[in-house]
Amino acid sequence: MLDFDATFIAQIVNFIILLFILGKFAYKPLMRVLDERRERIANDLGSAEKTRVEAEALKEQYSKQLAEARQEAAAIVDKANKIGAKIQEDSKAQALVEKEQIIASAHQVTELEKEQALAQIRGQVIALATEIAGKVIDQKLNSQDDQAMIAKTADSVLSK
Amino acid sequence: MGTEQGSNEIIHYLPQEISALGMTVHMQTLYMMWLTMAIVVILMGLCASRSKLIPGRFQCIVEMCILWLEDLIESNIGKEGRRVMAPFLITLFLYIFIGNEVGLMPQVGIHLTSPTNDINVVFGLSIMVMVVTYLMGFKVKGFGYLKHFVSPFAVMLPLNIVEEVAQPVTMALRLFGNILAGEILLIVLYQLLPWVAPVVWVLFSLCIGLLQAFVFTILTIIGLSNVFVEH
Repeated sequence: MLDFDATFIAQIVNFIILLFILGKFAYKPLMRVLDERRERIANDLGSAEKTRVEAEALKEQYSKQLAEARQEAAAIVDKANKIGAKIQEDSKAQALVEKEQIIASAHQVTELEKEQALAQIRGQVIALATEIAGKVIDQKLNSQDDQAMIAKTADSVLSK
Repeated sequence: MGTEQGSNEIIHYLPQEISALGMTVHMQTLYMMWLTMAIVVILMGLCASRSKLIPGRFQCIVEMCILWLEDLIESNIGKEGRRVMAPFLITLFLYIFIGNEVGLMPQVGIHLTSPTNDINVVFGLSIMVMVVTYLMGFKVKGFGYLKHFVSPFAVMLPLNIVEEVAQPVTMALRLFGNILAGEILLIVLYQLLPWVAPVVWVLFSLCIGLLQAFVFTILTIIGLSNVFVEH
Protein backbone atom coordinates (compact mmCIF):
# COMPACT_ATOMS: atom_id res chain seq x y z
CA MET A 1 0.00 0.00 0.00
CA LEU A 2 2.93 2.31 0.60
CA ASP A 3 5.18 0.92 -2.13
CA PHE A 4 4.84 1.84 -5.77
CA ASP A 5 3.86 -0.99 -8.09
CA ALA A 6 1.74 -1.77 -11.14
CA THR A 7 -1.44 -0.89 -9.18
CA PHE A 8 -0.60 2.65 -10.32
CA ILE A 9 -1.11 1.64 -13.96
CA ALA A 10 -4.16 -0.49 -13.07
CA GLN A 11 -5.70 2.57 -11.44
CA ILE A 12 -5.23 4.72 -14.54
CA VAL A 13 -6.58 1.98 -16.83
CA ASN A 14 -9.56 1.37 -14.56
CA PHE A 15 -10.36 5.08 -14.41
CA ILE A 16 -10.23 5.38 -18.20
CA ILE A 17 -12.62 2.38 -18.48
CA LEU A 18 -14.95 3.97 -15.91
CA LEU A 19 -14.84 7.30 -17.75
CA PHE A 20 -15.62 5.55 -21.05
CA ILE A 21 -18.56 3.57 -19.60
CA LEU A 22 -20.07 6.59 -17.81
CA GLY A 23 -19.46 8.89 -20.75
CA LYS A 24 -21.19 6.53 -23.13
CA PHE A 25 -24.05 5.15 -21.04
CA ALA A 26 -24.75 7.65 -18.27
CA TYR A 27 -23.76 11.23 -19.10
CA LYS A 28 -25.17 11.30 -22.62
CA PRO A 29 -28.73 10.25 -21.64
CA LEU A 30 -28.59 12.38 -18.51
CA MET A 31 -27.33 15.44 -20.37
CA ARG A 32 -29.91 14.89 -23.09
CA VAL A 33 -32.71 14.88 -20.51
CA LEU A 34 -31.25 17.95 -18.78
CA ASP A 35 -30.90 19.80 -22.09
CA GLU A 36 -34.42 18.80 -23.15
CA ARG A 37 -35.80 20.03 -19.86
CA ARG A 38 -33.83 23.28 -20.08
CA GLU A 39 -35.03 23.80 -23.65
CA ARG A 40 -38.62 22.98 -22.75
CA ILE A 41 -38.63 25.37 -19.79
CA ALA A 42 -37.10 28.09 -21.97
CA ASN A 43 -39.70 27.41 -24.71
CA ASP A 44 -42.56 27.38 -22.22
CA LEU A 45 -41.37 30.63 -20.69
CA GLY A 46 -40.95 32.12 -24.16
CA SER A 47 -44.44 31.09 -25.29
CA ALA A 48 -45.91 32.30 -22.00
CA GLU A 49 -44.26 35.67 -22.54
CA LYS A 50 -45.52 35.74 -26.13
CA THR A 51 -49.06 34.91 -25.00
CA ARG A 52 -48.86 37.61 -22.34
CA VAL A 53 -47.75 40.19 -24.89
CA GLU A 54 -50.55 39.11 -27.26
CA ALA A 55 -53.08 39.31 -24.43
CA GLU A 56 -51.82 42.80 -23.55
CA ALA A 57 -52.17 43.88 -27.19
CA LEU A 58 -55.68 42.41 -27.39
CA LYS A 59 -56.65 44.10 -24.16
CA GLU A 60 -55.37 47.41 -25.43
CA GLN A 61 -57.22 46.88 -28.72
CA TYR A 62 -60.45 46.03 -26.89
CA SER A 63 -60.08 49.04 -24.61
CA LYS A 64 -59.60 51.26 -27.63
CA GLN A 65 -62.60 49.72 -29.38
CA LEU A 66 -64.69 50.10 -26.23
CA ALA A 67 -63.72 53.75 -25.92
CA GLU A 68 -64.55 54.32 -29.58
CA ALA A 69 -67.89 52.53 -29.19
CA ARG A 70 -68.69 54.63 -26.14
CA GLN A 71 -67.79 57.78 -28.01
CA GLU A 72 -69.89 56.69 -30.98
CA ALA A 73 -72.83 55.81 -28.73
CA ALA A 74 -72.59 59.20 -27.04
CA ALA A 75 -72.54 60.88 -30.45
CA ILE A 76 -75.57 58.85 -31.58
CA VAL A 77 -77.51 59.72 -28.41
CA ASP A 78 -76.54 63.37 -28.80
CA LYS A 79 -77.64 63.37 -32.43
CA ALA A 80 -80.92 61.62 -31.51
CA ASN A 81 -81.51 64.20 -28.80
CA LYS A 82 -80.90 67.01 -31.25
CA ILE A 83 -83.18 65.41 -33.84
CA GLY A 84 -85.85 64.87 -31.17
CA ALA A 85 -85.58 68.49 -30.05
CA LYS A 86 -85.76 69.69 -33.66
CA ILE A 87 -88.81 67.50 -34.34
CA GLN A 88 -90.42 68.87 -31.19
CA GLU A 89 -89.64 72.43 -32.21
CA ASP A 90 -90.85 71.83 -35.75
CA SER A 91 -94.04 70.24 -34.45
CA LYS A 92 -94.56 73.17 -32.12
CA ALA A 93 -94.02 75.65 -34.90
CA GLN A 94 -96.28 73.69 -37.23
CA ALA A 95 -98.92 73.46 -34.53
CA LEU A 96 -98.70 77.22 -34.01
CA VAL A 97 -99.06 77.83 -37.73
CA GLU A 98 -101.97 75.42 -37.89
CA LYS A 99 -103.50 77.10 -34.89
CA GLU A 100 -103.17 80.48 -36.54
CA GLN A 101 -104.61 79.09 -39.75
CA ILE A 102 -107.51 77.46 -37.90
CA ILE A 103 -108.17 80.64 -35.99
CA ALA A 104 -107.97 82.72 -39.17
CA SER A 105 -110.25 80.36 -41.07
CA ALA A 106 -112.61 80.35 -38.09
CA HIS A 107 -112.62 84.10 -38.18
CA GLN A 108 -113.28 84.01 -41.91
CA VAL A 109 -116.09 81.51 -41.47
CA THR A 110 -117.53 83.55 -38.66
CA GLU A 111 -117.33 86.69 -40.76
CA LEU A 112 -118.91 84.93 -43.70
CA GLU A 113 -121.65 83.47 -41.55
CA LYS A 114 -122.09 86.83 -39.94
CA GLU A 115 -122.36 88.45 -43.35
CA GLN A 116 -124.73 85.76 -44.54
CA ALA A 117 -126.77 86.14 -41.39
CA LEU A 118 -126.79 89.89 -41.79
CA ALA A 119 -127.77 89.53 -45.44
CA GLN A 120 -130.48 87.14 -44.41
CA ILE A 121 -131.64 89.43 -41.63
CA ARG A 122 -131.51 92.35 -44.03
CA GLY A 123 -133.63 90.50 -46.48
CA GLN A 124 -136.10 89.61 -43.78
CA VAL A 125 -136.00 93.13 -42.31
CA ILE A 126 -136.68 94.59 -45.76
CA ALA A 127 -139.51 92.15 -46.29
CA LEU A 128 -140.87 92.74 -42.82
CA ALA A 129 -140.50 96.53 -43.03
CA THR A 130 -142.10 96.55 -46.44
CA GLU A 131 -144.93 94.48 -45.16
CA ILE A 132 -145.36 96.65 -42.06
CA ALA A 133 -145.07 99.86 -43.97
CA GLY A 134 -147.48 98.55 -46.61
CA LYS A 135 -149.90 97.57 -43.95
CA VAL A 136 -149.40 100.96 -42.30
CA ILE A 137 -150.13 102.94 -45.41
CA ASP A 138 -152.30 100.15 -46.63
CA GLN A 139 -150.70 99.88 -49.97
CA LYS A 140 -148.09 97.78 -51.31
CA LEU A 141 -144.66 99.19 -51.85
CA ASN A 142 -143.69 96.91 -54.69
CA SER A 143 -142.04 99.35 -57.02
CA GLN A 144 -138.34 99.34 -57.43
CA ASP A 145 -137.96 102.76 -56.00
CA ASP A 146 -139.84 101.76 -52.89
CA GLN A 147 -137.71 98.75 -52.41
CA ALA A 148 -134.50 100.82 -52.84
CA MET A 149 -135.67 103.35 -50.30
CA ILE A 150 -136.58 100.70 -47.79
CA ALA A 151 -133.22 98.93 -48.33
CA LYS A 152 -131.42 102.19 -47.75
CA THR A 153 -133.36 102.77 -44.57
CA ALA A 154 -132.70 99.19 -43.40
CA ASP A 155 -129.00 99.53 -44.11
CA SER A 156 -128.75 102.73 -42.17
CA VAL A 157 -130.53 101.02 -39.25
CA LEU A 158 -128.40 97.89 -39.46
CA SER A 159 -125.18 99.83 -39.75
CA LYS A 160 -125.97 101.55 -36.42
CA MET B 1 -9.90 -1.01 6.67
CA GLY B 2 -12.62 0.32 8.89
CA THR B 3 -12.84 -2.67 11.23
CA GLU B 4 -11.05 -4.32 14.02
CA GLN B 5 -9.24 -6.45 11.46
CA GLY B 6 -5.64 -5.72 10.54
CA SER B 7 -4.86 -3.24 7.81
CA ASN B 8 -3.12 -5.82 5.64
CA GLU B 9 -6.06 -8.18 5.53
CA ILE B 10 -7.82 -8.64 2.20
CA ILE B 11 -10.58 -10.77 0.77
CA HIS B 12 -9.05 -13.94 2.14
CA TYR B 13 -10.07 -16.47 -0.49
CA LEU B 14 -8.70 -14.43 -3.38
CA PRO B 15 -5.03 -13.80 -4.26
CA GLN B 16 -3.33 -11.02 -2.34
CA GLU B 17 -0.94 -9.98 -5.05
CA ILE B 18 -0.43 -10.84 -8.70
CA SER B 19 3.01 -10.53 -10.22
CA ALA B 20 3.77 -10.64 -13.91
CA LEU B 21 6.62 -9.31 -16.06
CA GLY B 22 8.37 -8.08 -12.91
CA MET B 23 5.37 -5.97 -11.90
CA THR B 24 3.13 -6.54 -8.91
CA VAL B 25 -0.51 -5.57 -8.57
CA HIS B 26 -1.97 -5.12 -5.09
CA MET B 27 -5.17 -7.11 -5.47
CA GLN B 28 -7.06 -5.77 -2.43
CA THR B 29 -6.80 -2.29 -3.89
CA LEU B 30 -7.82 -3.59 -7.30
CA TYR B 31 -10.92 -5.33 -5.87
CA MET B 32 -11.90 -2.15 -4.09
CA MET B 33 -11.35 -0.15 -7.28
CA TRP B 34 -13.71 -2.51 -9.09
CA LEU B 35 -16.25 -2.32 -6.29
CA THR B 36 -16.08 1.49 -6.37
CA MET B 37 -16.41 1.50 -10.14
CA ALA B 38 -19.36 -0.89 -9.94
CA ILE B 39 -21.15 1.32 -7.39
CA VAL B 40 -20.55 4.46 -9.49
CA VAL B 41 -21.69 2.72 -12.69
CA ILE B 42 -24.81 1.23 -11.03
CA LEU B 43 -25.70 4.57 -9.42
CA MET B 44 -25.29 6.57 -12.60
CA GLY B 45 -26.70 3.80 -14.79
CA LEU B 46 -29.86 3.61 -12.68
CA CYS B 47 -30.29 7.34 -12.88
CA ALA B 48 -29.60 7.49 -16.61
CA SER B 49 -31.82 4.54 -17.51
CA ARG B 50 -34.74 5.95 -15.54
CA SER B 51 -34.15 9.56 -16.40
CA LYS B 52 -37.38 11.31 -17.25
CA LEU B 53 -38.31 14.84 -18.18
CA ILE B 54 -40.17 15.15 -14.89
CA PRO B 55 -37.67 13.65 -12.43
CA GLY B 56 -38.34 11.36 -9.49
CA ARG B 57 -36.73 11.77 -6.08
CA PHE B 58 -33.62 9.69 -6.86
CA GLN B 59 -33.09 11.37 -10.23
CA CYS B 60 -33.50 14.75 -8.54
CA ILE B 61 -30.71 14.03 -6.06
CA VAL B 62 -28.27 12.77 -8.72
CA GLU B 63 -29.14 15.63 -11.08
CA MET B 64 -28.71 18.11 -8.25
CA CYS B 65 -25.17 16.77 -7.60
CA ILE B 66 -24.31 16.81 -11.30
CA LEU B 67 -25.69 20.31 -11.82
CA TRP B 68 -23.86 21.55 -8.72
CA LEU B 69 -20.60 20.15 -10.12
CA GLU B 70 -21.35 21.53 -13.59
CA ASP B 71 -22.01 25.00 -12.16
CA LEU B 72 -18.78 24.77 -10.19
CA ILE B 73 -16.88 23.74 -13.32
CA GLU B 74 -18.50 26.41 -15.51
CA SER B 75 -17.87 29.20 -13.03
CA ASN B 76 -14.15 28.29 -12.96
CA ILE B 77 -13.27 27.23 -16.50
CA GLY B 78 -16.16 28.61 -18.59
CA LYS B 79 -18.74 27.03 -20.87
CA GLU B 80 -16.28 25.47 -23.30
CA GLY B 81 -14.29 23.99 -20.41
CA ARG B 82 -17.46 22.57 -18.92
CA ARG B 83 -18.54 21.05 -22.20
CA VAL B 84 -15.19 19.30 -22.68
CA MET B 85 -14.21 18.45 -19.12
CA ALA B 86 -17.48 17.87 -17.23
CA PRO B 87 -17.65 14.07 -17.76
CA PHE B 88 -14.02 13.67 -16.66
CA LEU B 89 -14.38 15.87 -13.58
CA ILE B 90 -17.72 14.42 -12.50
CA THR B 91 -16.36 10.89 -12.87
CA LEU B 92 -13.27 11.91 -10.89
CA PHE B 93 -15.40 13.35 -8.09
CA LEU B 94 -17.78 10.39 -7.92
CA TYR B 95 -14.95 7.87 -8.05
CA ILE B 96 -12.98 9.51 -5.25
CA PHE B 97 -16.09 10.18 -3.16
CA ILE B 98 -17.45 6.63 -3.41
CA GLY B 99 -13.90 5.23 -3.03
CA ASN B 100 -13.39 7.21 0.20
CA GLU B 101 -16.70 5.99 1.65
CA VAL B 102 -16.34 2.32 0.66
CA GLY B 103 -13.77 1.71 3.40
CA LEU B 104 -16.18 3.02 6.02
CA MET B 105 -19.04 0.69 5.10
CA PRO B 106 -20.02 -2.15 7.46
CA GLN B 107 -17.78 -5.17 6.95
CA VAL B 108 -20.08 -8.07 6.14
CA GLY B 109 -18.20 -11.18 5.12
CA ILE B 110 -15.57 -9.31 3.15
CA HIS B 111 -13.02 -6.81 4.26
CA LEU B 112 -13.63 -3.40 2.70
CA THR B 113 -10.95 -0.75 2.34
CA SER B 114 -10.87 2.54 0.48
CA PRO B 115 -8.96 2.29 -2.79
CA THR B 116 -7.73 5.79 -2.02
CA ASN B 117 -5.72 4.53 0.95
CA ASP B 118 -3.25 3.07 -1.55
CA ILE B 119 -0.48 5.44 -2.65
CA ASN B 120 -0.60 3.98 -6.18
CA VAL B 121 -4.25 4.96 -6.57
CA VAL B 122 -3.86 8.54 -5.41
CA PHE B 123 -0.69 9.08 -7.43
CA GLY B 124 -2.36 7.37 -10.38
CA LEU B 125 -5.19 9.87 -10.11
CA SER B 126 -3.02 12.96 -9.60
CA ILE B 127 -0.54 12.06 -12.37
CA MET B 128 -3.47 11.31 -14.68
CA VAL B 129 -4.98 14.71 -13.84
CA MET B 130 -1.64 16.36 -14.58
CA VAL B 131 -1.31 14.54 -17.92
CA VAL B 132 -4.90 15.39 -18.88
CA THR B 133 -4.30 19.04 -17.96
CA TYR B 134 -1.19 19.18 -20.17
CA LEU B 135 -2.91 17.35 -23.04
CA MET B 136 -5.86 19.75 -22.92
CA GLY B 137 -3.46 22.69 -22.59
CA PHE B 138 -1.60 21.71 -25.76
CA LYS B 139 -4.87 20.93 -27.54
CA VAL B 140 -6.46 24.27 -26.70
CA LYS B 141 -3.47 26.62 -26.70
CA GLY B 142 -0.76 24.67 -28.50
CA PHE B 143 2.77 25.37 -27.26
CA GLY B 144 1.48 28.72 -25.98
CA TYR B 145 0.24 26.76 -22.98
CA LEU B 146 3.83 26.61 -21.71
CA LYS B 147 3.74 30.39 -21.31
CA HIS B 148 2.13 29.92 -17.91
CA PHE B 149 5.57 28.82 -16.67
CA VAL B 150 6.88 32.37 -17.18
CA SER B 151 3.74 34.10 -16.02
CA PRO B 152 3.39 36.73 -14.70
CA PHE B 153 7.22 37.28 -14.97
CA ALA B 154 10.05 35.21 -16.44
CA VAL B 155 11.82 35.16 -13.07
CA MET B 156 8.93 33.10 -11.73
CA LEU B 157 10.00 30.12 -13.86
CA PRO B 158 11.73 28.14 -11.08
CA LEU B 159 8.85 28.71 -8.68
CA ASN B 160 6.32 27.74 -11.35
CA ILE B 161 8.26 24.53 -12.08
CA VAL B 162 8.28 23.65 -8.38
CA GLU B 163 4.57 24.42 -8.18
CA GLU B 164 3.87 22.30 -11.24
CA VAL B 165 5.66 19.30 -9.68
CA ALA B 166 4.37 19.93 -6.16
CA GLN B 167 0.73 20.15 -7.21
CA PRO B 168 0.15 16.46 -8.13
CA VAL B 169 2.33 15.34 -5.21
CA THR B 170 0.40 17.43 -2.67
CA MET B 171 -2.95 16.48 -4.17
CA ALA B 172 -2.08 12.80 -3.94
CA LEU B 173 -0.57 12.94 -0.47
CA ARG B 174 -3.40 15.06 0.94
CA LEU B 175 -6.01 12.56 -0.20
CA PHE B 176 -3.92 9.54 0.75
CA GLY B 177 -3.02 10.93 4.17
CA ASN B 178 -6.57 11.88 5.09
CA ILE B 179 -8.13 8.58 4.08
CA LEU B 180 -5.38 6.31 5.41
CA ALA B 181 -5.19 8.23 8.70
CA GLY B 182 -8.97 8.10 9.05
CA GLU B 183 -9.04 4.34 8.60
CA ILE B 184 -6.04 3.70 10.87
CA LEU B 185 -7.64 5.83 13.58
CA LEU B 186 -10.85 3.85 13.14
CA ILE B 187 -8.96 0.60 13.80
CA VAL B 188 -7.29 2.14 16.85
CA LEU B 189 -10.66 3.36 18.15
CA TYR B 190 -12.16 -0.11 17.72
CA GLN B 191 -9.35 -1.42 19.92
CA LEU B 192 -9.62 1.29 22.58
CA LEU B 193 -13.34 2.23 22.72
CA PRO B 194 -15.29 -0.37 20.73
CA TRP B 195 -18.75 1.15 21.28
CA VAL B 196 -19.66 4.80 20.59
CA ALA B 197 -16.41 6.45 19.47
CA PRO B 198 -15.91 4.46 16.21
CA VAL B 199 -19.45 5.29 15.07
CA VAL B 200 -18.86 8.99 15.66
CA TRP B 201 -15.54 8.73 13.83
CA VAL B 202 -17.19 6.91 10.91
CA LEU B 203 -19.72 9.75 10.60
CA PHE B 204 -16.89 12.27 10.70
CA SER B 205 -14.89 10.27 8.15
CA LEU B 206 -17.88 10.15 5.80
CA CYS B 207 -17.78 13.96 5.77
CA ILE B 208 -13.99 13.93 5.35
CA GLY B 209 -14.41 11.57 2.37
CA LEU B 210 -16.80 14.01 0.71
CA LEU B 211 -14.59 16.97 1.53
CA GLN B 212 -11.44 15.32 0.16
CA ALA B 213 -13.21 14.34 -3.06
CA PHE B 214 -14.33 17.96 -3.40
CA VAL B 215 -10.83 19.29 -2.66
CA PHE B 216 -9.21 16.97 -5.22
CA THR B 217 -11.79 17.93 -7.87
CA ILE B 218 -11.60 21.66 -7.22
CA LEU B 219 -7.78 21.58 -7.41
CA THR B 220 -8.07 19.78 -10.72
CA ILE B 221 -10.50 22.44 -11.95
CA ILE B 222 -8.13 25.21 -10.84
CA GLY B 223 -5.31 23.49 -12.76
CA LEU B 224 -7.55 23.38 -15.83
CA SER B 225 -8.41 27.09 -15.49
CA ASN B 226 -4.93 27.82 -16.95
CA VAL B 227 -6.09 25.97 -20.05
CA PHE B 228 -9.56 27.39 -20.62
CA VAL B 229 -9.37 30.85 -19.06
CA GLU B 230 -7.08 33.69 -20.18
CA HIS B 231 -5.32 35.22 -17.19
